[in-house]
Amino acid sequence: MFRLILKIAWKNSFARPSRTILLVVMIAVSMSMMLGIQGLYDGMVKNMADKNKRSDSGDISIFAKDYRINRDIRYRIKNAELIQKELKNTEDVEAVVLRISADGLASTARKSSFAQIRGIDLQAEENFGAFSEFLKSGKIEFGKRGAIVGIELAKTLKLKVGSKVVFSTQDSNGEINSMAFKVKAIVQTTNIVLDTSAIYINLEKLRTFLGLTPHEATQIALKSENKKLSEKLKSKYSSFDVKSFFELQPMMKMMEDMMVIFNSITFFIVMSVVFVGIFGVMYVSVLDRIREFGIMLSIGMQYKYIRLQIFLEAIVVGLLGFLSGAVLGLVLLIYLKDYGLDFSAFADALEMWGYETIIYGTIKLSYFTTTFFAIMSASVLSVLIPLRKIKKLNPIEVIKADK
Amino acid sequence: MFSLALKNILFYKGRSITTFILTFLSTILFVVYVSMMDGSHKSMLENTLKIYTGAIEIYHKDYRDIGGNEYLIQDVKSITDKLSHVDGVEAFTTRYETYGLLSSHENSAASLIAGIEPDSEKMISSIADALKEGEFLSHNSGNCLYMGSGLVKKLKLNLGSEVAFVGAASDNSFAADIFKVCGIFKTGSFEFDLSSAFVSRSYFDKLMLAQNKASYITVKVDNLENVDAINKKIVQTLDSEKLESLTWKTLMKTMVEAMEVDSIFNYISLSLFLIVIFFVIMIYGFINVSSRIKEFGVLRCIGLSNVNIFSLLFYEIFILSTLAIFFAAPIAGSICYYYSLNPIVIEGIAEMYKDYGLISDEIPLNFDILTIIWNLAFIYGLNFLSILYPYFYINSFRPIEATKHV
Repeated sequence: MFRLILKIAWKNSFARPSRTILLVVMIAVSMSMMLGIQGLYDGMVKNMADKNKRSDSGDISIFAKDYRINRDIRYRIKNAELIQKELKNTEDVEAVVLRISADGLASTARKSSFAQIRGIDLQAEENFGAFSEFLKSGKIEFGKRGAIVGIELAKTLKLKVGSKVVFSTQDSNGEINSMAFKVKAIVQTTNIVLDTSAIYINLEKLRTFLGLTPHEATQIALKSENKKLSEKLKSKYSSFDVKSFFELQPMMKMMEDMMVIFNSITFFIVMSVVFVGIFGVMYVSVLDRIREFGIMLSIGMQYKYIRLQIFLEAIVVGLLGFLSGAVLGLVLLIYLKDYGLDFSAFADALEMWGYETIIYGTIKLSYFTTTFFAIMSASVLSVLIPLRKIKKLNPIEVIKADK
Repeated sequence: MFSLALKNILFYKGRSITTFILTFLSTILFVVYVSMMDGSHKSMLENTLKIYTGAIEIYHKDYRDIGGNEYLIQDVKSITDKLSHVDGVEAFTTRYETYGLLSSHENSAASLIAGIEPDSEKMISSIADALKEGEFLSHNSGNCLYMGSGLVKKLKLNLGSEVAFVGAASDNSFAADIFKVCGIFKTGSFEFDLSSAFVSRSYFDKLMLAQNKASYITVKVDNLENVDAINKKIVQTLDSEKLESLTWKTLMKTMVEAMEVDSIFNYISLSLFLIVIFFVIMIYGFINVSSRIKEFGVLRCIGLSNVNIFSLLFYEIFILSTLAIFFAAPIAGSICYYYSLNPIVIEGIAEMYKDYGLISDEIPLNFDILTIIWNLAFIYGLNFLSILYPYFYINSFRPIEATKHV
């Protein structure tokens, strides 16, 4: 019986092909666009968060107490190398890097700007966050007196690869010291603070320049997928300031939350309108065949089978719409993931705000599952009112009535 | 045709109500969304312009691109004399800017130190209004420093504290002095408050050997809408190949571009809603038309042309759209107007997005009649487009065939 009803439902779904095709196209276009937008926005935030983690905070960062408030090298971690060793041996920790940062003034012969000098170990940074992927021009190396500069700072100071820059700051003894560098490379991390102010130099060189011992650092950043590790480290290193990524980057958390809210609202509005569309078609489709249903009831077919048939019709249309939308959406998402949207025409603005000029999307299985349930629910719900109408039918009157 | 269209609308109530509601909602959504987007952009620009950047700034050529003391404006007096005769120029002031290291007993920080003319600066920017503690500068305030709150905090200073300055004078010689903190300001711009300090030019010029020189001249215009025309007059009046006069559109090019990108994303999101609504209106129009194929066949048989059929469909959508827009436009307009005067406040958003230059928790909507009109016209256009497919569908039937359609 079920097979027969399924067959009838399938055939009836295409009784008015133009109408069904229009509905399927509506579901497919709206669904694919919605998936594309979700993927693009999620990709944008995910990409920013990922690069922020790789270039700076990692999944967890450890600082000396008060360092983040005062940004002063007096508040540094004295036994950083020892802690690094301990962390490397901790379960779930993938990589650990030490960094030293100090704020100061960067000057060329013609321009000056505030800057942050960051002592890094290039090999360790490569293992930690594939630092070389941030390269925009030049070569990732320090050489004898080399420095790598953030893209926005390079623009402010009109620096190119080969330019000379002098950095002045206060050392650990409170004395003002200066150091000259040759720019070896320009990088874009999409971390606004780093791109607008960072001058990266060799970690050891900066230690010497600032008068720090070889075991000291201002930041220990580590990579780990374990979400609970942060709490563990907080109790283990209670004399330090242990912060998770979202604690260090509340803006990222807020952006992610806002994207979830925005995507949910978009989803709700689009699905509500889609529901109105499906409802209209199913309602008219049932009304068109009201005599047919009257006859079916008169010859003894039970209401439950008619209900099943109409549900199946709605599900068939919804499923076809979903499948078409899923294919279109997947193609769009793959394109956005692989090629992205090119905003090179607005490169200056995007770089200034910490975005890449090509914005890539992301693909999540949840996009498809949630949309599937939403479309199926909309399809099934859309036939409830037409079904009530059929339930209240007086078969004889309906057969007699002129359609 | 008009009365027939009206009768059809009243007869097919379901379709009419759905089209009305969808058009009504999409009109409100579109007008308010665009207004919110324009309002937030306008507010960001205005706030930035109000703080420090002028509507027009005059530079020595290459000062912005290359920089350095050889590109300072010389003989400022003769230029300002000319500027005072340009129509539309409300006020102007000269600034001498340099970067240097400021040091307290405990800390040092790189900072922008600008020599300003306190009296004329008050008329141009809002830095005087941003006073938080102490007092703003005056012509005779000597070595008084007016510092951003962030910088004061960074250097652990208080009112009356002494600050050492080290930098380079306008002849590239070494310049150093001790300043006294006389005033602390907070504009709300995180970056600006963290990295700016001001001194009266009467004192600073002597230290920097910058008498009658300026990094640039900032101009306030009487009407921001006329900024291009006024700038043109300034260029003509100055008549100098060595100088360039730039409007805020060039000075804040990256911000303008960023807003364009933001607009693109907003329109992409908005287009999703509009496309879905367009489809539903089209589907309802199509259902309506497809259930009247017989009726259209009869109409064609009694002599109505294709144009008449199109007119009928056109009038139907015209009446429904006009009704929906007639009710939606005043509501959407009122929302925009109300929130342009009483901005939406999202507590903490400025703090959260401080790195992006956001300085206020307020998001005002933009109330602009022209923008609202084009928004309404767009919804009209979209609704008219929705009748095309149903029209071609009806036309695909021959009149006799249509009359027999089941």
